[in-house]
Amino acid sequence: MKRKGKEFREPKKFLCPYGFTLANLKAEMRAIWENNVKEWKIEFTYPLSFIRQSVEPLIFLLPFIVYGLVLIGGRYSDSLMSLVGTGDIVTYIFTGYIIMGFIGTSVWAMGFGIRKEQWYGTFESIYVTPTSRISLVLGMALHSVVHQGISVFFEFLVIYAIFGLALRIEGILPALGILALMMLALCGFGLFVSSLALVLKEGWIISEGLYSVLMILSPVAYPLTVLPSIAQQMSKVFPTAPALIGMRSFLIENYTPEVMGNVFLHLLALDLAWIIFGVMIFYATDVYIRKRGTLGKY
Amino acid sequence: MGSSETYSFKANLFIIWSEVVKNIKFMMAYPVIFVFWTIFPFFWFLPFIFQCQAFVGGLHSANFEQFTGTSDYIPFIVIGAILNGYVLTSLYGVGESMRREAYRGTLDYLLSSPSNKAFILIGKALSESIKSTMYAAIQFVVGILVFGIYVTIEIIMPIVLIIFLLILGLYGIALMLAAVSLQFKQAHDLAHTLEYVFYVFTPVRYPLQSLPFWAQVLGSFLPLTYALIAVRSLMLLKQNVLAVYQEIFLLLVVDVVAIFLGFYLFDWMEKKTKSSGSISHY
Amino acid sequence: MVYDERSDDYSIKTINLAKSFRKKRHKGVFGFLKRGNEKEKSETTDVTVALDNVNLGVRTGELFGLLGPNGAGKTTLVKCLSTILIPDDGTAIINGFDIRRQTTLVRASLGMVIGGERTLYWKLTARDNLMYFASLYKMPRKRIKERVDELLGTMNLLDRADERLEDYSTGMRQKVAIARALLHDPPVLLLDEPTLGLDPTFSRQIRNQIRELSRKEGKTVLLATHYMKEADELCDRIAIINEGKIVAVDTSDQLKAMVKETELVEVICYNPPQNVEEYLKALCPDVEIITLIRGEEAKGTPSRIKLIGGNAEKRISTVIDALRKKNTQITSLNISMPTLEDVFIKLTGAKLTEGSMGAGQ
Repeated sequence: MKRKGKEFREPKKFLCPYGFTLANLKAEMRAIWENNVKEWKIEFTYPLSFIRQSVEPLIFLLPFIVYGLVLIGGRYSDSLMSLVGTGDIVTYIFTGYIIMGFIGTSVWAMGFGIRKEQWYGTFESIYVTPTSRISLVLGMALHSVVHQGISVFFEFLVIYAIFGLALRIEGILPALGILALMMLALCGFGLFVSSLALVLKEGWIISEGLYSVLMILSPVAYPLTVLPSIAQQMSKVFPTAPALIGMRSFLIENYTPEVMGNVFLHLLALDLAWIIFGVMIFYATDVYIRKRGTLGKY
Repeated sequence: MGSSETYSFKANLFIIWSEVVKNIKFMMAYPVIFVFWTIFPFFWFLPFIFQCQAFVGGLHSANFEQFTGTSDYIPFIVIGAILNGYVLTSLYGVGESMRREAYRGTLDYLLSSPSNKAFILIGKALSESIKSTMYAAIQFVVGILVFGIYVTIEIIMPIVLIIFLLILGLYGIALMLAAVSLQFKQAHDLAHTLEYVFYVFTPVRYPLQSLPFWAQVLGSFLPLTYALIAVRSLMLLKQNVLAVYQEIFLLLVVDVVAIFLGFYLFDWMEKKTKSSGSISHY
Repeated sequence: MVYDERSDDYSIKTINLAKSFRKKRHKGVFGFLKRGNEKEKSETTDVTVALDNVNLGVRTGELFGLLGPNGAGKTTLVKCLSTILIPDDGTAIINGFDIRRQTTLVRASLGMVIGGERTLYWKLTARDNLMYFASLYKMPRKRIKERVDELLGTMNLLDRADERLEDYSTGMRQKVAIARALLHDPPVLLLDEPTLGLDPTFSRQIRNQIRELSRKEGKTVLLATHYMKEADELCDRIAIINEGKIVAVDTSDQLKAMVKETELVEVICYNPPQNVEEYLKALCPDVEIITLIRGEEAKGTPSRIKLIGGNAEKRISTVIDALRKKNTQITSLNISMPTLEDVFIKLTGAKLTEGSMGAGQ
């Protein structure tokens, strides 16, 4: 059928980097970065929203502190001192609250990254590109992590100005290292939430529920020893508990090598487990929805 | 006001009624969301209970008693969480339902209908309040059974009255919010900001006296402040209704001002929107 | 035989591709809490066969049309080919890659344009959109910028490239969508209703572009459409699809030759009687198909009654008399060249589109 003098071409074989190669890794990394950039560009079209979301965590932090101060009638709690070895509740709550935004990263930004594209209507267009869906979700996570970083800095300024904080400056860098280890496990967790959000219509309830449960199961404003023992056991599967113990050790001066060793091993194990679990569930969900054909819906 | 032109008061009541019926039907279609709003407020205040156990090492705080008259902090925050639920549903109920109409494409139609839009909004808000009351009732029962909230027959009616007055005040504020959202696309952010104001500057989690003076002044403009003080006096301090007449009166004053401002602002914004035509900007 | 097994010259080849959907009531997270009778209802699932053993071959460099009414399975086929859907059975080979096993390479071989409004980010500029998608196609960074400029130039969008898409018209957005499909210079293009909802001027521009892509750049194009004029005008070959089945594949001319001129009568009229199809069928049993395409008579678009097959031409006087008896106002009568619509009706007995839409834009 060579009518109208058309020249037919041989199929092109090389198209883009793929598989386990360095070039492909670089391409996927760039896709993560570009997803992050895209999220910022969209966000800055709503400057008010950006400001609100940056201030928001502070609004939910303040009641914890004010409430604590009212309960004790000062900022030093003997009871807390006997439980964790530090009595300054303002510093304790602030260091705990740092992680809340990052939990938000995994349950909201990652969990709803793909759903958001479905609302935009762009999901199928992204889907037909050779980039991995995981890079898309990680791009969302990167954007959110930077956002949370801005919020934490802002919280720090305000709390420091109003109450003052007793933090060890030299502990900040190692604490960031612990935070990074926690984020790895939370990324795996986020992929899992993202899969749930894709399959279930009421995904926001899952996210809100997981956020609340993680809030309770993490030692944000209290040590886990005050929880019922079953809740203490459950908290061990989430990276937030060991991460907070580790971060506080560095930031509030009761660092011991044994504790840090345990924290480190616990986090590494959780990283590995959550990433493997998250990626597996994510791919299984991907196949499931492509078979069912609900990809572009909602 | 628009109602005087073509529609009688009775017709306006009918508008409210049809909105309520429509929204209750929606609610019935999504039982998951109902279960969610009933259960999750408990998750939100549980951390505060554990926090207190860690900080004071028990179920009573002597310092807390100096401010609030009761050392038992658990019922205090349970009541705070239950009443705060009304703020959330009023602000988001009205704001979200406007957005929902905009998404469904029915907003333009609604706004171009001859009925007074403020009444449509009240209908929306009323259905949200009915839902909130259902959540609150369940939560009160749980509070009584699990968290040691005290209740007698005599204080039920005063509490219902206080909640009714709280709802009225919140309607005024929700109307103002809706008015602004006719002109500005980012009403959602505004609803969040209002939520924060309520959360921080009213005694939801802690007594108002623990805040700096300027914050207390700001809190005194919000209906939730008086409702919380009055309900807690009845349920926690076991006072009778005569002891809280001052709070009830102030709540009434705030209601009148908020509703007047709400209607006035909405009417004004609606006219402005009609002339500048920015409704379909959504 | 739709394609030659031995030939290697197919850029798109489907092998027994099948897909059906189960329609199930969505019950939500706590759906099990719902009342029993609803549960029973939800368990009776309807199965819709969207693709029924589709075997197609699109030659390299060919502009291939997939013509069928809405719901015929066009979109499902395009989605299976683009790896958005996994078929129940069978597979397809695109640019030499299997859609089941080599998804990444299939995706890299494809450029896709989906009809509809929101396939791009409205909050971003045209340039930002293209730069973003270029990175998702893993293009080398150095190449991206020049390629984006090149495409914006081809589409005549350079002067508005830095405006947000929310300020664009629908037609301009569709041009950006086409530019996106071309970013990585893919050998195969899948176009699903690319002119849907566009005004005639933009539709014409987009059609010209599609033609050029095929003629000048030698792209293999699969164009799914329900506008028969579009398929007729553009495509080298056309597959007619109905209810998930491919009913015919050929060039437009060959397809039309399936309906002989003497077999085709079209009565243009107003106010045809109810059940006109059965009424005329009873009078002319030897005519294969009699179908009414209702026009919007109030707006001045007349209805059309088509008689296809058998001795249609010989029955004209019978038909006219019968219609007059029923007070139908006949405005004209065509015994003319068959269109793809007639082919479709003859092959499937179904109408391609309702009313005047089928005439295209």
